[in-house]
Amino acid sequence: MTTQADAASGVHPEPTALADWSPYATRAGNFFDALYVQIRPECDAIVAQYEDSRSALLPMAHLFQEHEGYVSPNAIVAIAYILAVPPAVVESTVSFYTLFYRKPVGKYMLQVCRNLSCIINGAEEIMAYFREKLGAAHLETTADGLFSYEEVECLAACDRAPCMQINLEFFYDLTKENVDDMLAAIRGGTFGVKPLVQTAPPQRTWKVAQDTGRKSSGGVGVSNPNNAGGIGDATGVIMLDRFVADPAYGQRSRERLTHEKHLHPDSATNGHH
Amino acid sequence: MPNFITPVLTKGIGELNLRDIEVYKSTGGYAQLERAFKELSTKEVLDMTMGSNLRGRGGAGFPTGRKWSFLPDNGRPRYMVCNCDEAEPGTFKDHMLLEETPHQIIEGILIGSYGIGCHHAFIYIRGEFKAGYQIFRAALDQARAAGYVGKNLFGTGYDLELTIHRGAGAYICGEETGLLNSLEGKRGEPRLKPPFPAIKGLYGEPTVVNNVETLAYLPYIMRNGAQWFAQAGPEKSPGFKVVSISGHVKKPGNYEVALGTTIRQLIDDCAGGLRDGRTFLGVQPGGGSSACLFEEHLDLPYDFDTISKAGSMLGSGAMVVFDDTTDFVKAAHALIRFYAHESCGQCTPCREGGNWLQKTLARILDGRGVHSDVDMLVSASHQMTGLNLCALGDSLEPFLVSVVKRFESQFRAYIKEDRKEDRPAVAV
Repeated sequence: MTTQADAASGVHPEPTALADWSPYATRAGNFFDALYVQIRPECDAIVAQYEDSRSALLPMAHLFQEHEGYVSPNAIVAIAYILAVPPAVVESTVSFYTLFYRKPVGKYMLQVCRNLSCIINGAEEIMAYFREKLGAAHLETTADGLFSYEEVECLAACDRAPCMQINLEFFYDLTKENVDDMLAAIRGGTFGVKPLVQTAPPQRTWKVAQDTGRKSSGGVGVSNPNNAGGIGDATGVIMLDRFVADPAYGQRSRERLTHEKHLHPDSATNGHH
Repeated sequence: MPNFITPVLTKGIGELNLRDIEVYKSTGGYAQLERAFKELSTKEVLDMTMGSNLRGRGGAGFPTGRKWSFLPDNGRPRYMVCNCDEAEPGTFKDHMLLEETPHQIIEGILIGSYGIGCHHAFIYIRGEFKAGYQIFRAALDQARAAGYVGKNLFGTGYDLELTIHRGAGAYICGEETGLLNSLEGKRGEPRLKPPFPAIKGLYGEPTVVNNVETLAYLPYIMRNGAQWFAQAGPEKSPGFKVVSISGHVKKPGNYEVALGTTIRQLIDDCAGGLRDGRTFLGVQPGGGSSACLFEEHLDLPYDFDTISKAGSMLGSGAMVVFDDTTDFVKAAHALIRFYAHESCGQCTPCREGGNWLQKTLARILDGRGVHSDVDMLVSASHQMTGLNLCALGDSLEPFLVSVVKRFESQFRAYIKEDRKEDRPAVAV
């Protein structure tokens, strides 16, 4: 496999027939390849909004997630390619934000608020009811891939507690009765909220940290690099082909590094860039 | 409706479709923007903001005009960033303003940008506010079409662009330097300060980060004069404030009042008082990071300085009211779990301390706690405070300690048996 260092330095093998080395012999007609070509103009328009292209990282991750249902390893490399930053930089950034799912999720993401105003207004009962009715715990997807369930922090709708979001649409004043109605409507296909795009079957959880079983003493999840859902993930990376096939990438990457120094002349001293 | 409710930002909500630019203009909207560009200098807008003594409505309460005046005059590009990453527990004012009155936010951002002399402004909208984002984007398109955003505004040759940036679920991005990192496409980890954003902010250039509500007041201060704002409420913390009241009250919601209205008036007269047959136990006056206040504080005027003197803070102006049904162990657990979850992980006291406090509270709730755990909550949260890059790690102590001290019996009641072998190996 050609490494990032090779690609960045411009030293890389001549693009050869994909089948020679890639596990993606069937690249032609691949979903992601088509998606990339389709939304690249939109990505370029986002980049053009900012003085520094890297600011486009979050908006592009939103865009890819909208089309793929999650921020796939391919999307991470695609963003890195467009911004001319290493894929690890994108991986590191995307993994910071809870609304980016790095693994496939259910068609309906149910996010119930567990913060103060909801807790003192009966959210615990509602959460227990959801867990029972769905057969899924916090951060889990149901076996049929229809629901993902998460207990989230304050959604800024405390006047109508307990509240929740379904695919980021608000639902207020939850009771067991209206929860029943919602679940029935979703299962019956009469629910008013659009399902999320699902391009791959979800697993039990979409949280990388939950899979590793390794925790620091304080309880913050430490992800296992061998199972991080990143570019080393078994789902592979169509986009790495583009790194390899683009002789200009090395130059773009060097330009980016020069630019970054200009943006942050003192970055060596303040340590938080 | 009690006469001390004074709708300024909230005027017309629920009656008019203020999302529409024509409706907003019919209420006098965008007239002040035009006046600022055509008749006033940048300096005059800054002086007006200074004169109004407007203090930041996002949480810290820093005087807005002074914040602007820190920008160095070094000829570098400068940026205005509007902070709409509202996620402070109990706060829902920006959520409402974003969805109901997007145009006054746009007008406020544009006037503020002119006041600091910037040509590119940003609004950072919380990722969860998807509907708000769509509403704001539509409003911005209308404003752009009307010639309020873009090149050569009002024929003055002044260019001003406004870019919407969506967050993706991280409370810490409401901290201004965390927000700037997020806006730069990085992890939302707060930066070491100084340098403050006014010196080195977005892309290393001078930057002002202001809350939605702060900026939204600017058009009204221009319309009615700085004195109008400065004379409402107490001298040192004047003006109006949208207060989000939730919890155990009959009519939870956003109420806009002049600062200095008493806590009792807010709870009883605005929010309809407690539910029938219940007695008052406490109120968290300024979001999740503020200490709980009690009965003896009910008649205090609600303003920045008085609430600080009482040992709490006004913060984002979010009141959560607790009646006698409240289990303060569960309430504290919900808040501590929030801070543990939202810690960015840079500073050890916050990253580890939050998680240990949450585990300790979970253990108490589970009936496995020991009496020394209750004492440890107080000492451990105190030891975390003041040792972190940003205020998140300092936000666990106030509420937790205030309720442990006041309602210690509730915490002790969860402890079944204090066996010696259950105690932590190290005495705290």
